[in-house]
Amino acid sequence: MQIVLILALLVALFVLGPLLVVVPMSFSTANSFEFPPPDYWLGYYRAFFNDERWLTPVVNSIGIGLATMLLTMLLVIPASFAMVRRRFMGRGAINLLLMMPMIVPHIVMALGYYTYFSQLRIIHSPLGVVLAHTCLSVPVCYLIIAASLKGFDRNLERAAMNLGASPLRTFWEITFPVLRPGFLVGGLFAFIHSFDEAVVAIFISGQAASTLPRKMFDSIRIEADPIISVVSTLLFAVVLLAVLSPLAWRAIMKAHGSLKATA
Amino acid sequence: MTAVQNEKALLWLLLLPVVGFLAVFFLIPLGQVLYFSVMDPGFTLKHYAAFMTDAFYWKVLFGTFQTAALVTALSLLMAYPLAYMVVKLGGAFATTILLIVTMSFWTSFLVRTFAWMVILGNNGPFRAAMEMLGVVPAPQLLFTRFSSTLAMVHLLIPFMVLALYSVMKKIDPNLTRAARSLGASPFDAFRRIFLPLSAPGIVNGCTLVFIMCLGFYVTPVLLGSPREQMIAGLIGQQIEEFLEFGEASATSVILLAVTLSVFALYNRFVGLDKLWG
Repeated sequence: MQIVLILALLVALFVLGPLLVVVPMSFSTANSFEFPPPDYWLGYYRAFFNDERWLTPVVNSIGIGLATMLLTMLLVIPASFAMVRRRFMGRGAINLLLMMPMIVPHIVMALGYYTYFSQLRIIHSPLGVVLAHTCLSVPVCYLIIAASLKGFDRNLERAAMNLGASPLRTFWEITFPVLRPGFLVGGLFAFIHSFDEAVVAIFISGQAASTLPRKMFDSIRIEADPIISVVSTLLFAVVLLAVLSPLAWRAIMKAHGSLKATA
Repeated sequence: MTAVQNEKALLWLLLLPVVGFLAVFFLIPLGQVLYFSVMDPGFTLKHYAAFMTDAFYWKVLFGTFQTAALVTALSLLMAYPLAYMVVKLGGAFATTILLIVTMSFWTSFLVRTFAWMVILGNNGPFRAAMEMLGVVPAPQLLFTRFSSTLAMVHLLIPFMVLALYSVMKKIDPNLTRAARSLGASPFDAFRRIFLPLSAPGIVNGCTLVFIMCLGFYVTPVLLGSPREQMIAGLIGQQIEEFLEFGEASATSVILLAVTLSVFALYNRFVGLDKLWG
């Protein structure tokens, strides 16, 4: 038992350690990848926030992510209603179609989009990346929204209609507000999926519509630019905040509650 | 319109956008890959023939399988004790470990690949530690099979831990306790009760990791050896450097066929709906 625990702790260290390495790297004065850093400064942060070559991909990635999120939700939400609530011929086939972008390796789709979007003349454009990312985000968004739809109690709708609400009014005043959190989570996953997607973006986004993952890939592969450590640290900080904030929030609420109890 | 017709029209109204969109922007490009793999400009099998007759391509395919199997096995061996202790100890320990795993899970592949670049780099801590231990001069670690395998294990371990954990947490601890009270040794109770019950998690985790590894592009290209590519890296090279779209398409179809076979096997024995459930 002791041995298993030690083993588990070593694995946990293996998972955590490399994540922490990028933080001191970003404050390093070294202009190549050197660890531990010889000295510390904030120069590469200043450089990052003044460098068009890095800021443009950040803006591109956020814009492409938001557009992907919107388009994916518009496509997936109506379809989820049909898929969850109806039994019909061809349902299995459509289910397979919705899941397929998750099954096909991204490098295969990268090749497909490379030739197809060249013909359509939308290669190296944000539009092309949004269209590709929307396809790739459909499965994850569909899984989440369909799951939240399955958990919805339809008696709420029946009650509203019993009380005289039209189907449309029932949808807007009952169904949609109850399901909104699930829809938003589905949308958030579509955004993250697009924001993190590297392989297709590497091949089709080009210089003009370069996304952040593509820029990072090029930066690591070609130039060994130390600014990448700043970008990595900032991305890691976002994840850290997102993962820790519910925990912190709960602790604050708890402290708040006990304060009230003593007052 | 009758009610039945109305119902049908509504159904199509709901489904048509996503089906149409995927048909135009997913199925057509995918179909083109299949098409270009057998055309040049007329029907030909020469791209496949080029793949089949070249020992280099076979080496890439075999090496990809080998790496994927190794990464899957290492991830399982490392993730299993971790997930097991999380379920066993619970409490603050479990919260902390799950937090670490979730953090790693959500951190971009590129950020983590960059971290390994630093760790294994020529001026990195790994080589420094080796030299301190007396391995002088320390061997070059980056751009080898070792570095890409190690990084892929790190990138994919969170998937394995979460797959194992989601099955393990549902195993009733009373079952192993019962086995113990009936005279089984701790190890026997684990081997004959807990391990078989956790098998669905093992199958899920291994399938996910193996499939992701088969088509992995970014990390093997950045950290791996240029002479020992994996198949996704080969496809990328055929597109970018050689502009050989026919051969890239044939290689893609082979990767796709291999991936679909793994999914089909999983579907046959477990059921595809359970993989993401």
